[in-house]
Amino acid sequence: MDYLSKKYLRPRKIPSSACSGCGLGMNHKAVIQAVYELGLEVDDIVWGTSIGCAGRQTFGTWKGDGFAGTHGRVYAIARGLRLALPPEKKIILTVGDGDAFGIGLLHLIHAARSNADLTIIVNDNLGYMSTGGQYGWTTPHGTKSDSSPYGMYEHNMVSDGMDVLGVLKNAGATFLARHVSMDGPRAVESIKKGIANRGLSLIHIVYPCPTNVGSRELGTRDAVTIYNWIKNQAAPIGQERSDTLWATGVYHDASNSRPEFSESIHQHVGRIRRQRLYENKI
Amino acid sequence: MKRYLETGNFAVTEGAILAGCRFFAGYPITPATELAEAMSYRMPQVDGIYIQGEDECAALHLCIGAALGGYKAMTATSGPGYILYADPYGWAIGCEIPVVILNSGRVGPVSGITGAPGQGEFYLTRYPTQGGNFETIVLAPNSAQEAMAMTVEAFYLAERFRTPVTILADQLVTDGFEDISVPENEEEMKAMGFRTWPRGINRGPVFYPPTDEIDIPPVVLGHNTGALCSDWTPTEEGYDTEEVVAHHKHAYRLIFKIRNHKDLFNHLYEKTFMDDDPDLVVVSYGTPSRVVNTAVKKARQEGLKVGALRLIHLWPFPDEHFKKKTKYLSVELNWDGQLVREVRRAAHKDAEVHFVGSCGDLPAVAELLEVFEKLLKGQPLARKGWELEEW
Repeated sequence: MDYLSKKYLRPRKIPSSACSGCGLGMNHKAVIQAVYELGLEVDDIVWGTSIGCAGRQTFGTWKGDGFAGTHGRVYAIARGLRLALPPEKKIILTVGDGDAFGIGLLHLIHAARSNADLTIIVNDNLGYMSTGGQYGWTTPHGTKSDSSPYGMYEHNMVSDGMDVLGVLKNAGATFLARHVSMDGPRAVESIKKGIANRGLSLIHIVYPCPTNVGSRELGTRDAVTIYNWIKNQAAPIGQERSDTLWATGVYHDASNSRPEFSESIHQHVGRIRRQRLYENKI
Repeated sequence: MKRYLETGNFAVTEGAILAGCRFFAGYPITPATELAEAMSYRMPQVDGIYIQGEDECAALHLCIGAALGGYKAMTATSGPGYILYADPYGWAIGCEIPVVILNSGRVGPVSGITGAPGQGEFYLTRYPTQGGNFETIVLAPNSAQEAMAMTVEAFYLAERFRTPVTILADQLVTDGFEDISVPENEEEMKAMGFRTWPRGINRGPVFYPPTDEIDIPPVVLGHNTGALCSDWTPTEEGYDTEEVVAHHKHAYRLIFKIRNHKDLFNHLYEKTFMDDDPDLVVVSYGTPSRVVNTAVKKARQEGLKVGALRLIHLWPFPDEHFKKKTKYLSVELNWDGQLVREVRRAAHKDAEVHFVGSCGDLPAVAELLEVFEKLLKGQPLARKGWELEEW
C-alpha cells in the first residue's frame, strides 16, 4: 500500500499472504482510507477478524490491539469486549461471508438485535476459498466450485428475492451497505458512515478470488477476467439491469436512531446502583 | 460473617463477587438457571453486568470478550450447555484468557434427566475442547459452602495461570439448600482461606512467552499495548504462525505452566480415616463423597478398616494419592465408570480397583457398607442389571 499503510499497518504483515490477484487488499485499503478520512488514530480502534481468507489475511495487520475469534463467534466476543471498552474506542471487524452468513449468522443477528457498536466489513469472495473453494451462502446460482461441480444448486441468501441484509435490517442493524471491491470511493463513503454510526453497521463487499472462483467458474486464474465478471454484474442501487447480482450502495441507514447495546446496559446498571444508593443499601 | 440458609447457586454467586467477578453471561439450563438468576439480581448491585447469550457458545464467548477487555468473568451451565463451550473453551486456553466456568452435572447423555445429579463430565472437563496440547484445572466442591470457596479459588487460579478454570459441581451442590457463611470483609475472607489475585495487564511486546512461568499478566485489549490474540498458534508477539517449533513452545507452555505448579492446588483434597493404611480406600468427588464419608464412619464403627479419599481438584489428576498397594473403590454418579479409569491408571500396579455407580440418585449408605464388606472379604460384587462382569 502507501503512506496509509505506514501510519496504520504493521510492516511485518505487508505484503499480505493473500494469493496473487486477490481482491481483498482493495477492501482492506477502503477500510484504512475510511479510518484515515474520519481522522481516527491507531489507538482509537481495536481490530477483530475471523477465520478464512478475509480473517487470516487481515489479522495482525492493524498497528493497534487486535484479535481473531473462533469461526463465526467473533460477533459474540466483540459484544463482550464492547461492554468492557469505553464508548469512544471503535471496534472494526473484518470477516468473511462464510463466517458472517453461515456459521456466525445467529451471533450476527443477536449483535444486530442488541445494536452493539461494531463496524463489520464482510469481505465476500463468494464461498469458502481458504479451504480450496466450496460454495457458500452468497455463491450465485449456477456457479461452479469444488463442492458444486455442476453449478451452485442450493438457495442462497442474495437471490430469489431474498437478501441477508434484509434479515439483518429486520434484526435491528442500524447501518447496512453493499459494494463490490471495485467501488473504491463509494465503498469508502459507506464504511465511513458505518464507523460513524453508534450501533451495528455492516458493509458487505464482494471481492474477486481468481485462484478458486476464477479458475472453477471462469476457467482462468487471470485476475482481470474475474474482476470484470464481478464488476459487470454489479450496479448502483436504482440502476440495476436484468443481470445485476449485486446492487451497490447504502441499503439501510438508521444511524444513531436506536440506543446502543453497551450504553443501554451500563445505563441499566447505573440506574439500579443509583436506586440502591438512594435507599441507603450501598 | 453473615449466615444464610441458601442454595449452592447463591453461594457461588457470592463467592464470585468476593473474587472480583463483575461479568456474568449465561443461558438458562436446569440446574444452573438459578445461578444465572442470582447473578442477574446481584451483578448490577455491585456495578457488574449480567447478560444472556443466544446460546451457551455465545455466553462463554461473551465472557471471553469481556475478560479480554479486563473483566473478571464467569459463566455457568450443565452438561448439554457445557458441550457447546468446546469452541470458546479452546480459544480461552490457547489465548490464555482467565475465565471461570461452572458445570452443574445432571444425568446424561444429551438432555437425559434434567433435575437429578450426575457425574458424566469427568473426562469432558479434562478435554473440553479439541486439539489436545493443553492441561486443564478442574475443582469439584461437595457442598454449598465449599462451592463458594472453590469459586473464589477458581478465580484466583485462573488469574495466576491465565487459563479457564472449571468448577465441576452437580445438581445437589448447586440446588441444595444449606447453611452458608459469607465473609463480609477481607479479614474474614483470609480467615476462611479465600485467596484473590488482581487482573494484570500485559504490556508486551512478549504476550506469549515460551516458558512454564505463572503470574504473567494476560492479554487485555484496549490499552494500546499492541496486543494480539487469535485462534492460531501464536508467536511470542501474538502473530499467527504455521511454524511447528513455535507451536511446540506454545503447547509446552499450555501443558507445563499447570503441571509444573501443582503445589498451588494439590492441597485440595480431603482424607477421612486414612492415617492407618486402610485395607480399602473409597475414592469419590462431589456429592457422593458425603454419602461415602457417612458409610466409612459406619464401617469403622463396625470394625472395618476403610478410609475415604475425596478429590477436590480433579485435573491435573492427583496421581500421588494412589501409590499404596491396597484396594480402591471408586463411587460415582454414572453407570459407565469414569473416575475409576483414572484411578486404575494412577494406582499401584498390584492394587485392586473397583467401581460402584449410580446415577440420578445417590447410593445408599447400607448399599455401600455391603460393598465394603464384600470387597474386604475378597468376594465378587453383586451384578446389577445387564452387567456381565465387574467393571
